[in-house]
Amino acid sequence: MKKNQITFVLFLGLMVSQLTSCKKKTPTPAVVETGTVTINLNHKWGTANGSDFKLDTTLVQPDTGDSLNFTTLEYYVSNFKLKKSDGTWWVHPDSYFLVDLSNPGSLSLNLTNVPLGTYTDVNFTMGVDSLHNVSGAQGGALSTTNLMFWSWNSGYIMLKVEGISNNSQTGSFAFHLGGFSGADNIVTDKQISFSGSSLSVSSNHTSKVFLQVNPDWLWHSAPSVSVLNSIHVPGSDAKTMALGFFANNSITFDHIVE
Amino acid sequence: MKQIIFALILISAVVFNFVSCKKKDGNVSTYNATNWGFKIPANFPLPNYTFENNAQTIDRFGLGRLLFYDNILSLNNKISCSSCHAPDHAFSDHNVALSAGIGGVLGTRNAPSLSNLAWYPAFMWDGGVNHIEVQPMVPLTSPTEMNETMANILAKLNANTNYKNLFKKAYDVDVITDQVLLQALAQFTSMLISADSKYDQYIAGTASFTDAEKTGLDIFRNKCAGCHTEPLFTNFSYENIGLDMVSVDLGRQLITQNPLDRGKFRVPSLRNVAKTYPYMHDGRFFTLSQVLDHHINGALNNGITDSTLLQLTPLTSAEKLDIIQFLNTLTDIQFMVDPSLADPTH
Ligand code: HEC
Ligand code: HEC
Repeated sequence: MKKNQITFVLFLGLMVSQLTSCKKKTPTPAVVETGTVTINLNHKWGTANGSDFKLDTTLVQPDTGDSLNFTTLEYYVSNFKLKKSDGTWWVHPDSYFLVDLSNPGSLSLNLTNVPLGTYTDVNFTMGVDSLHNVSGAQGGALSTTNLMFWSWNSGYIMLKVEGISNNSQTGSFAFHLGGFSGADNIVTDKQISFSGSSLSVSSNHTSKVFLQVNPDWLWHSAPSVSVLNSIHVPGSDAKTMALGFFANNSITFDHIVE
Repeated sequence: MKQIIFALILISAVVFNFVSCKKKDGNVSTYNATNWGFKIPANFPLPNYTFENNAQTIDRFGLGRLLFYDNILSLNNKISCSSCHAPDHAFSDHNVALSAGIGGVLGTRNAPSLSNLAWYPAFMWDGGVNHIEVQPMVPLTSPTEMNETMANILAKLNANTNYKNLFKKAYDVDVITDQVLLQALAQFTSMLISADSKYDQYIAGTASFTDAEKTGLDIFRNKCAGCHTEPLFTNFSYENIGLDMVSVDLGRQLITQNPLDRGKFRVPSLRNVAKTYPYMHDGRFFTLSQVLDHHINGALNNGITDSTLLQLTPLTSAEKLDIIQFLNTLTDIQFMVDPSLADPTH
């Protein structure tokens, strides 16, 4: 019964959408004034205000003592929301970003058409929400051409980290972390306050939020690469490692430039 | 009743698409627009795939059909989806246990017959694929199948003027992306509907069964339908049927990581089963008689084997013959010779 109704509504929707898509384009109504916000990710390593995180550089993980030389670090962030000073949230539609440390352009996330006003917090999802893991072919940052999709066990690789290390028995490490349902779910919500500062968005202007990201949190609870040097399936190992980074204080507010 | 109403809505939605978009689309190909479209057979439940974000149109379907039969999707441009899913075998492979990918490399599993996929909640023998649109990612990129990369497939398609035009017409895109490629393939695979077998006609009251077929159906409903549930002839559960004491192929365990799922495989649909030999996930049995001897009368108790199966009283040879007579009524010749599902270039 319920399913019938849902499907009914769906097809009603289909018909309506056809109507709109096939009719002649009408002139768009008066433009609402908006601004742009960029979320800039600065990757650090070690303690707060530690050294810069860089690919192809040997870095020592403070908890495990491993020497790690990263060749790849990629992860998804999605579903951005900004909190207005009146406490309400503005939701950015369809925001999926693949952060790729080998692509400097991907470290600055562009939120366009933000309504004018003052904002105090940003909220986003670490990973890709479960809905977009089960809804078929996707575009944009979620395209399979980014090689962040498992074909044989459908779902996004939400974080991929690879590199070389003398501490690993094979000389290398590769962690592909994903999982969006039940006990294997690693998708995590993150809210970051601008620590008393506020972000004002003005017309035709780009305001910048700077955040610090510390990938060393991946080994917050995960063992040394001498014990575990690869993960390629969702499950408890993936969850331990991913949540070390997704769920803890690994991303912190730095400053705002208006 | 509800299903009929639903079907009517669906049909009107599809017809409506034609009417409303006809001007934009230009010609409506060779199909009769009022008859063509996704329809829910009378005795079927609601489908799982509802063309959300991929509304059905004849141009999209035609494009998916062309792609399904085109070797361009494989690394050496020598095999297509239809190489392993041939219409005259109810879209299974040509009676081989394991399929040969490019360069003749064999895979590890039997290519299943493709029908009624829009009703499937998950795909593959282990259910690892969760959506009809992303399913082609496996054969397209698997080294034992078409061994391509998505980037290279898109480069080939984007360099092909015919495909550029067809995708522009169907999806209004200037650059072909993986999203529209996968959506186009789903437009075709979701239309592989087999629901016109003698069994379906018997249920509809337009054909009659012989005594043997009737007895076979009774035994089937008694002993098999718990797993091979009508009308799709699968309940989509994963079962270990005791083929081996220790299963080499981990099956469902590969997806769940649970050792108790070792050797469990998705209950296969039995539609067109007389035409889709050899049988089982690895194609180990050539005849239905062998299947019944091992699957029902010879199931091994490996600790994971489904217990209802172990408790079934063995089938007598008369019962076996009746069941096989019944299984033969699931053959849908119309489905296999349907010109709208055949290779469009032949
Ligand atoms: C080299 C042979 C081969 C080719 C080429 C091939 N397939 Fe398959 N197909 C298989 C095999 C084998 C399986 C079962 C795989 C498994 O369960 O792990 C399968 C499974 C499937 C399934 C799942 C059916 C079910 O019952 O769950 C679909 C759908 C499918 N293929 C569609 C396609 C499409 C679309 C293409 C072209 C893009 C294609 N196949 C190309 C061999 C092939
Ligand atoms: C406990 C659930 C269950 C019951 C009951 C059951 N089956 Fe099956 N059947 C399966 C599973 C699971 C497979 C696939 C196993 C594999 O490949 O490893 C299968 C495979 C088959 C196949 C091979 C199909 C193919 O395409 O490879 C046939 C034919 C079949 N069953 C017929 C029957 C008949 C006839 C009965 C009743 C006498 C029956 N089954 C009872 C679960 C069941």
